[in-house]
Amino acid sequence: MNYIENIFVCLAAPLLIALICTQGKGKRMMIFLLSGMAACLLSSYISTFIAAAQGVELLTASLEISPLVEETMKLFPILFYLLIFEPHKRDIADSCLMTAIGFATFENVCYLLQNGADRILYLLIRGFGTGAMHVVCAFIMAAGILRLWDRVWLRAAGTLALLAVAITYHGVYNILVSQTGTLALIGYLIPLFTTVITLIFRKAVFGKDVVKEKAPF
Amino acid sequence: MIETIENGIQLVTTGICTAVALRKGILLQSRAWIMLTLASGVFFLGDLYWELFLILYGKTPEYSYIPYLSWYAAYLFLLLLLYDLRDKNDERHRSRILWIIPVFTVGMCIFYLQWGDWVGNIISALLMCLLIWNAGEGLLSIRAQKADHPETKCKKVWIYILVLLFCLEEYGAWTASCFWTDVTLMNPYSWFDIMLSAMFLLFPAALGKAVDG
Repeated sequence: MNYIENIFVCLAAPLLIALICTQGKGKRMMIFLLSGMAACLLSSYISTFIAAAQGVELLTASLEISPLVEETMKLFPILFYLLIFEPHKRDIADSCLMTAIGFATFENVCYLLQNGADRILYLLIRGFGTGAMHVVCAFIMAAGILRLWDRVWLRAAGTLALLAVAITYHGVYNILVSQTGTLALIGYLIPLFTTVITLIFRKAVFGKDVVKEKAPF
Repeated sequence: MIETIENGIQLVTTGICTAVALRKGILLQSRAWIMLTLASGVFFLGDLYWELFLILYGKTPEYSYIPYLSWYAAYLFLLLLLYDLRDKNDERHRSRILWIIPVFTVGMCIFYLQWGDWVGNIISALLMCLLIWNAGEGLLSIRAQKADHPETKCKKVWIYILVLLFCLEEYGAWTASCFWTDVTLMNPYSWFDIMLSAMFLLFPAALGKAVDG
């Protein structure tokens, strides 16, 4: 039995303290990291509830229900931020990314507790693969929100459609990693490959005003 | 087996369309091309999900929310593409003949409700109605412009015709699947599905004509 709410408390406590101590952008990033973890916790509850209500097996739930629930839950903190605070474009991209990273971190910790931490090579591939997959899904949403539509109603329709892209991408990833051997490896490598491609073309994807010309360090 | 081959063909055509449109989208920084990339890309992902399920588990998904969601998203991106193609000073030609479209889509939706679920059928009908309406309105506008100014170039006519054909083939496939359940090449569903796949090879050419001149 995995007490994920206890894990959440353990992980969230130091971040909450950091939240009190930090200011400005750091504080905002911390909030989104925490929001991502909370979204993961809630997704787990909702997916489990739907699976139980429909009488579905664990594998079917992870392939057909989880991607839908997880991507939708991950979008809520961003939507809240967008609608209430009307932030600057660059802050939207960062907040999407931090939510995804928080989500992936919490998911990886839960996976470790459930399956053990003895296979370092597999965990390395899985860690990077899952992290990259959530980051790619966040990229998809961020790029759409930032670049594609000016009018509010077009942006709303477009965001819904982009959510479907993220859900399907996540679904394909889950199918591949549910296999063993080469197929699973391909599944883990696809998001890594997509992340690298996105980073190469990030100026074209996010726009010049979002990507800084020079790195801050 | 036939379903796997059909899906394979569609994966190839949507993949080619996505790659071509993405290249154009990045090179020209054009929203219309990005919309086509997203439409064919999400269709590709939905097909890939379906195909992987078929190959790895030997069955179609039990709850097909994810692939259906991706196909609805593809219709939505096509619709956004049509909106993007509208010029700000474009005069839209409204005709009473366009009202046949909602009558047709609602009628078909009621017919399909005998087999399918409520929500999915209503979403499909709504998106198809908007797609056909926009493409039809675009064609009527071009005809009106041509009548007023015969020297006008009709650059967008092919993309509107392709969208109409795309919708027609979707309706053909859905209707065929109501009456023919066998998965063979004799099933009209397969013909419509293969024609639908071919559409994705024509979309980049039509959009290129409409946008790039």
